[in-house]
Amino acid sequence: MVAKRAQFQIQQMAFMIVAVVIFFVLVGMFFLVYQSRNLQGNYEQLQKDEAISSLSVLANIPELSCGSLCLDLDKVEVMANKDYSDFWALGSVKVYQVYPESSSIVKCPAPNCNYWEVYDSGQKNIKEYSTFVSVCRKKSEQGSVYDQCEIGKLVLGVEE
Amino acid sequence: MKRNKFGQSEMVGFVLIVVIVVVAAMIFLVISLRKDSGEILKSVDVENLISAVMEYTTGCAIVYEPNYESVEDLIVSCADNEICSNLDLPACDYLNETLDNLMSGLVLTESQISAYQVDVFEKEGEEKLIPTVSSGGCRGGVSKAQKLIPTSNSDIVFMIILCKSDV
Repeated sequence: MVAKRAQFQIQQMAFMIVAVVIFFVLVGMFFLVYQSRNLQGNYEQLQKDEAISSLSVLANIPELSCGSLCLDLDKVEVMANKDYSDFWALGSVKVYQVYPESSSIVKCPAPNCNYWEVYDSGQKNIKEYSTFVSVCRKKSEQGSVYDQCEIGKLVLGVEE
Repeated sequence: MKRNKFGQSEMVGFVLIVVIVVVAAMIFLVISLRKDSGEILKSVDVENLISAVMEYTTGCAIVYEPNYESVEDLIVSCADNEICSNLDLPACDYLNETLDNLMSGLVLTESQISAYQVDVFEKEGEEKLIPTVSSGGCRGGVSKAQKLIPTSNSDIVFMIILCKSDV
């Protein structure tokens, strides 16, 4: 009788230990999934920041730049109107003027245009990254020349 | 009597385990919720937006036309209480109007931005040069950046906080 009771108690303890272990394993798995999701989010954010930093490098090349994160629209137009496909090791390079805002996107060259397709490789699997830049051009008023800067977006396409 | 005591001690053990698990779960929840809600990320994208906004040519000329001020110059002129001679407007009023138009225009073109807040204040004392420019209801992640603008009197902080759906 005593041996049976002891057996029952051992069984009870074993079940309890198994239940507790399963519970903690489940909690641990939940915690790991949560952490890995956070890690994935952080990784994507870092990747995006790195891409945007690369965009800053592109915005500062002398062929396009008029200063720090500033695109010279006269240079952009020259680059957009000629075939410099050997120059770009990228999927695409586009420039949009975002402010002052326009009701529609008009590709340059055209009157009141606000979109310059500097380069398009024609590739289909392209992931685009963009960042804000200032887009400037020389203007003349009352005999004086000055820089008129507006706000634009530089969009870079890289093969996925 | 002995059996009753044995049952009681088992119950106490079970209750202890439950209490420990609940406390651990509460701590985990509090930490994760605090991390999610209050965190404002420093963003390269917003830093670049600030650079672009700083260079934007306004319609205000302090001395003569067409020597128009950029937003950065206009902030310095506002701190010096200058007046836009071509518009006959105080630089601070025009700065406020420009930033309001600019940010609302950007929200129209950027569907990811659900809300924004722009503050221009002195670094020392944190006195605001213009009222806070803000709009929208925040959905998604919050990211911010700031730029320090040196002036003859005291440094000025220009700060943008954006709510973006993809952050």
